[in-house]
Amino acid sequence: MRILAAWLIRAQFRTRRAATLLSMLAIALGVALGYSIHLINEAALADFARAMKTVQGEPDAVIAARDSAGGVPLPLLDEISSDPAVLIAAPVIETRVRIGSQRTPLRLIGIDVFSAPALMPALLPRDAERAATGGILDGGLYASPALLGELGLQAGATLTLLRGDQRWVATIRGDLPAAGRDDLLLVADIAWVQEHFGPADAVSEIRIRLAADSDLAGWRERVAASLPPALLLRVAEDDGERASNLSRAYRVNLNVLALVALLTGAFLVFATQLTAVAQRSTQFALLGVLGLPPRMRLLQVLLEGLAIGLPGALFGLVLGYALAMAFTRLLGGDLGGGYFAGNVPVIVPRLLPAAGFLLLGCAASLAGAAYPAWLNLRQPLVAALNNGFTAHPQRARERGRQLLLPAALALLAGGLLQLPALSGVPLAAYIAIALVLFIGVAGAPLLTQEIFGRAAGLRLPAPQRIALQNVAQAPLMAQVAASGLIVSFALTASMVIMVSSFRVAVDQWLDHVLPAPLYLRGKASPLPQELLTALERPEAPFLRVERSAHGSLTLDPRRPPVALLVRELDRDDPAARLPFTGAVLVPPAEMPVVWISEAMHEIYGSRPGQTLRLPVLGREVEVFVGGIWRDYARQFGAIVISREDHQRLGGDFRPNDLALWPRPGQEGAAGDWLAAQVAAHGLEVASSGAIRRLSLSIFDKSFAVTYALEAAAMVIGVFGLAVTLTASVWLRARELATLAALGFDQRMLRHSLMLEGALIAGIGLLLGLACGIAIGAVLTHVVNPQAFHWRMPLDVPWLALLAGAAATLAAAILASRQAARQATRLPLAQVLASSQ
Amino acid sequence: MLTVTGLARRHRQASRALFTDLALSVAAGEIVALVGESGIGKSTLLNCIAGLDTPDSGSIAIGSPAVDIVRLDEAARAALRARSIGFVFQAFHVLPTLTVAQNIGVPLLLAGVLPAEHAPRTQALLDDVGLAGFADRWPASLSGGELQRVAIARALVHRPRLILADEPTGNLDPRTAGQVLALLLERVREQGASALIVTHSRHVAESCDRILTLTPQGLE
Ligand SMILES: Nc1ncnc2c1ncn2[C@@H]1O[C@H](COP(=O)(O)OP(=O)(O)O)[C@@H](O)[C@H]1O
Ligand SMILES: [Mg+2]
Repeated sequence: MRILAAWLIRAQFRTRRAATLLSMLAIALGVALGYSIHLINEAALADFARAMKTVQGEPDAVIAARDSAGGVPLPLLDEISSDPAVLIAAPVIETRVRIGSQRTPLRLIGIDVFSAPALMPALLPRDAERAATGGILDGGLYASPALLGELGLQAGATLTLLRGDQRWVATIRGDLPAAGRDDLLLVADIAWVQEHFGPADAVSEIRIRLAADSDLAGWRERVAASLPPALLLRVAEDDGERASNLSRAYRVNLNVLALVALLTGAFLVFATQLTAVAQRSTQFALLGVLGLPPRMRLLQVLLEGLAIGLPGALFGLVLGYALAMAFTRLLGGDLGGGYFAGNVPVIVPRLLPAAGFLLLGCAASLAGAAYPAWLNLRQPLVAALNNGFTAHPQRARERGRQLLLPAALALLAGGLLQLPALSGVPLAAYIAIALVLFIGVAGAPLLTQEIFGRAAGLRLPAPQRIALQNVAQAPLMAQVAASGLIVSFALTASMVIMVSSFRVAVDQWLDHVLPAPLYLRGKASPLPQELLTALERPEAPFLRVERSAHGSLTLDPRRPPVALLVRELDRDDPAARLPFTGAVLVPPAEMPVVWISEAMHEIYGSRPGQTLRLPVLGREVEVFVGGIWRDYARQFGAIVISREDHQRLGGDFRPNDLALWPRPGQEGAAGDWLAAQVAAHGLEVASSGAIRRLSLSIFDKSFAVTYALEAAAMVIGVFGLAVTLTASVWLRARELATLAALGFDQRMLRHSLMLEGALIAGIGLLLGLACGIAIGAVLTHVVNPQAFHWRMPLDVPWLALLAGAAATLAAAILASRQAARQATRLPLAQVLASSQ
Repeated sequence: MLTVTGLARRHRQASRALFTDLALSVAAGEIVALVGESGIGKSTLLNCIAGLDTPDSGSIAIGSPAVDIVRLDEAARAALRARSIGFVFQAFHVLPTLTVAQNIGVPLLLAGVLPAEHAPRTQALLDDVGLAGFADRWPASLSGGELQRVAIARALVHRPRLILADEPTGNLDPRTAGQVLALLLERVREQGASALIVTHSRHVAESCDRILTLTPQGLE
């Protein structure tokens, strides 16, 4: 039996080489994309974890301020150190400084030389042999080898470190031999860092190693309960989860693209196997008559599916590995997403995930082969032997019943869309998308019968009439040919709709959030006071200056922190600066008010009118939520508070960004004025137009991959149509030969077949467009809010979609021309003479 | 070898039953011709005997010890066909993607014989049916008469006890038809198998051991 199966598979590959190879390739592409995304992300996460380990060591727990502007008060250090469960408590001050006029700020880490070695071995300083005097305790500075290399300096060199107005001139005494190859770091003694950059009486973090026999969970619970609300205790597992939370949504989106490719692959297997079953129905019937066990008719088709899927998936793994290598070299570990800065991560494939992706590829091709296999099992032997393939082995269902299934599925999809995301992944929405595609495919025969059944009654020339009747009466072949186009066009259209909606929304949003002509950024560090005072002088060429300070709050140790933006805006009219999505509530007079971003609303469930308790300024503060604004920039949430409120709470306003309105007529002077400041302080200045162009170009670049995939999907769809049309020509050889014998000339046959292809493509594109709009709506209204926590209005770019449809239709007609050529090459006399 | 009793069959939507109480028996080694008008139900009867169609009532006992194929499920029917029945069809039905030798080997594969053991048997049969040297040819290059010889070799290769042939010469010219039929009868006799051959040819019928005529009233 096994030998027979092998004979049939080999024969199948020999006779249908193009279709088989294409199916294999599509499966390979799906597996490759999914696998490479997995590999890259795995490597990026590992890299991220390694970098974190260098800086942070491997403490059992860390105590830190929730507010990025805050610190851990020193008395707490004594308290923690005297806890009997604590073996070591190492204080750390971490800050960002600039070196001279270098633009990018660097990490400066102040360590306590007595407690640090045990906890943070990678930060251990080594004095250079040539160093004349003094060590770390005398104010020596130690740079990582990568940084030394980048600056082209050696021990003994003197550096000027800047942070806002604070500066420290220090000498490099040595390096950090255990730091990672790519880490750009400076290390100094904690007391010296504190003296120059603060904070007074506080440290950034306390890193803790517990005694070997202590119970981490119990200790954690006890200490967390006793900490003031402004501080948080995080344990090692929180870090891993936070890192994975960082890039989850981006990964999800890329994985959808991989799924699209896999789905198209499954569809191609479906089309290939269905036509293969139809073409060979007589052969299978013969084998059945000769005694082939019925289950083998099912298994054989599944096996053939697997024979496509397995090599496809294997090739996909190799391709995925190659892609991962190439992409990380080109774009780094975040695929241009901007979550993990910097280095090229090392790709290490492991067995289990590889096996998982292999299975996924096989499962996709088996899924594609399942329905053809079932049809093959259900073929009535005698009828198939005498008359060939029967598309509907059971009695055809009535019209009402046929409508029942799509209606039920549509209801199910609607229900699924109401469900929330499953740990950040919009799984239910994805299933709903698959259902929409299924409904489209299942609805195709209904629509064809409905439209063409009617049109067949029209008075038409013979070739057109025949074409109409064929499409109307052979719904299965039409369904297969059309479904390829339905699936590929729906997915393409939905992507186009989603991207266009997003782009339109981002464009409008940029208008709203960039009201000023010029922007000045101090990156992570506060702006120098000198600049700020200069701006307030009357001779400064600016009509208006709005300052803002950026910090962050860790509300949940397992999630990335939320941005805290202190802005100079009118507490009574925040809508002048923030793009609100709904009503703006008037806050109670005595209460500070914050306006939260959509992401903050989606992730933490905060809503307008609510009172939030925020861990700012070293304590917990009650604030009123005044409204929700749209923010496409900070995916993990943002909170805006006015400078007045922040100052009333006791906050120290140290701006790091400026929005500037030059005086009318003095734009040139304003530019020069700023240029001087930028040069002096290593700042960054940009016009709103430049920021806008840059933002949109980053947007377009990050969606470039999707365009390539869309094109691939359309090619596959059109090819699927060609394959099925060609197959149907062979299936109908006898009928075509009869037509020829009845006086159809070759031109009429060709016209008839091309018209048929055009009609099928038309139906496919129509349904594909309908499904595409539905899926586009699901992507914009459900998937995006669930995965990225932002919403946008739906925007259907009709012109692009219709142009795409027209181009596809033209390609489909060309493809059916190819099939029609085949028909005119049929050896008509021979076909008529034999019954096979 | 084959005993049919009380067989009744009426197709759905058909105005009348094809047969209501049909009885028939074929002894071991006997070759029976079945004649009758077109549409009378000859093919249906053959299909019932082969387990490809299920009668409304009656029993069909095949082989010794006898097995009632009507009572078997589909998998068991297929197994019984693979073991004990050989087929020849009017439309040849040779698999186009397998070579002549592979086509003939299919029933052996289905009966679980390893391909290594096929070669002598298929070679001998090819010689017997006059197709020596055709082993590696593709069916598309064969004539109708040659294809039907392949089909005959395939029907005999696994030494079935019962051969069913439905108008085996219906698609051939009279001269070729005569040759092919003579070959079929000769081979069946040589293997000592029983056979039921549907035919329209008086000449064919007369070369068989017995002639049965199917009429609306039953077998005569
Ligand atoms: N599957 C079927 N469904 C309905 N009627 C059938 C079916 N198969 C055969 N028939 C009818 O049964 C009758 C006998 O057919 P068949 O056995 O093929 O006749 P014969 O082989 O003697 O020419 C014919 O009238 C045919 O139309
Ligand atoms: Mg017949």
